[in-house]
Amino acid sequence: MTPARQRALTIGLIVVGVLIVAFFGLRAFFAFREFRRHGPPPLAPLEAQQQQVETDVELIRDWMTIPFIARMYQVSPKLLFDAVGVSPRGNGEKSLAQLNEKYFPNQPGIVLEVVKAVIQANQPSPTVVPPATAVPPLTPVSPVAP
Amino acid sequence: MSDFLLTQIINYGAPTLGAIVFIGAMGAPFPGTLIVIAAGAFARQGLLSWYTTGLVALVCVVLGDSLSYAMGHFIREPVLRRFQYAHKWKQAEATFNRWGGMSVFWTRFLITGIAVPVNLIAGTSGFGFRRFLVYDLVGEAIWVFGYGGLGYLFGTQWEMVSELLGNISGLALGLVILAMGVWLGRNWLRAVDARKAKAHEV
Repeated sequence: MTPARQRALTIGLIVVGVLIVAFFGLRAFFAFREFRRHGPPPLAPLEAQQQQVETDVELIRDWMTIPFIARMYQVSPKLLFDAVGVSPRGNGEKSLAQLNEKYFPNQPGIVLEVVKAVIQANQPSPTVVPPATAVPPLTPVSPVAP
Repeated sequence: MSDFLLTQIINYGAPTLGAIVFIGAMGAPFPGTLIVIAAGAFARQGLLSWYTTGLVALVCVVLGDSLSYAMGHFIREPVLRRFQYAHKWKQAEATFNRWGGMSVFWTRFLITGIAVPVNLIAGTSGFGFRRFLVYDLVGEAIWVFGYGGLGYLFGTQWEMVSELLGNISGLALGLVILAMGVWLGRNWLRAVDARKAKAHEV
C-alpha cells in the first residue's frame, strides 16, 4: 500500500469511526435513559404470567394478527373480527397492516385504530379494594373460676 | 421487513425463527437480534416454548455460521493461488489465527454487523473448524439465550430492550472501526518517523 493510500485509509477509518460512535453513542444514551425509567415487569410463576392481561392498548402494533392481540388482551377474536368487519376465515394469519391494505386501502391505519378502540372499550373493570375495617384489639379474658 | 418477519413468527413459531436466523447467519440482512428479543417476549406470553425455541434458534444459527465458514473455506484455493506468496496475506492469516477466536466470539452477539465477514475470513484463512465451532457455539448461546432472556424478562416492553441493544451494537462497531483507524495511523506515523530517521542518517 502506498503511503498516500495508507493515509487516506487511516483518515477515512477514523472519520467514519467517529461519526458512527457519535451517532450510535447518542442514540444508546437516550435509549438507556428510557430503559432506566422502565424496570422489567415483575416475574410471576409461568402459569400466572400467561394469564396476565395486558391493558395498555398503545402496545398494539400493525404487524400483530387479530388472534395474537385477542390472546394478549384476553378478548374474543370474534369480537375483534366483527368490529373490523372482516371474516375470521382466511384472515387469522394476516397482520392488521395486511387487513387494512386488503379491505380498507383508502383508510390507512383504520384497522389498528378500531382494534385499539374495541380493546379499550372491553377492558376489565378495575378491582375495587374494600377499605380496611377497623378491628378492635383483642383483650385477654381472665379465666373464669370454676 | 421486520414487521413481516414478526408476523410470521407469531403465526408459525419456532421453525420460522430458525429459518430467519439460519438465513441471516449466511448474510441476508435480517434484523436477527430484534427477532430473538421478540421471540423471548413471545415465550413469556406463552406463545412459544422458550427451551424448544431457544434450541431450534441455536442449532439453526450455528448451522448458518458453519455454512458461511464453509463458503470461505471453498474460496480458499483461488485466494491462495493469488496471494499465497504475498507477505501481507501471510501476516493477515497469522493475525486471524491469533485473534480469530475472540473475533468469532464477540461478533456473535455484540458486533453482529460483521459476523458474516468474520465467518468468511475464518474459512478462507484456514482457521480450524473445531475452534471456530467452539467460539461460535458459546457466542451464539449468549446471543440466543441472553438476548432472548432479556426479551422474556421485559415481556411487552421488548422493543425498548431491542432499541438499546441495537444502538450498543452499532456503537461497538464504530469503536472497532475507530480502533482500526488509530492502529493504522500509529503504524503510518511510525513508518514516517523511520523514513525521516533514515534520511537524517544518510
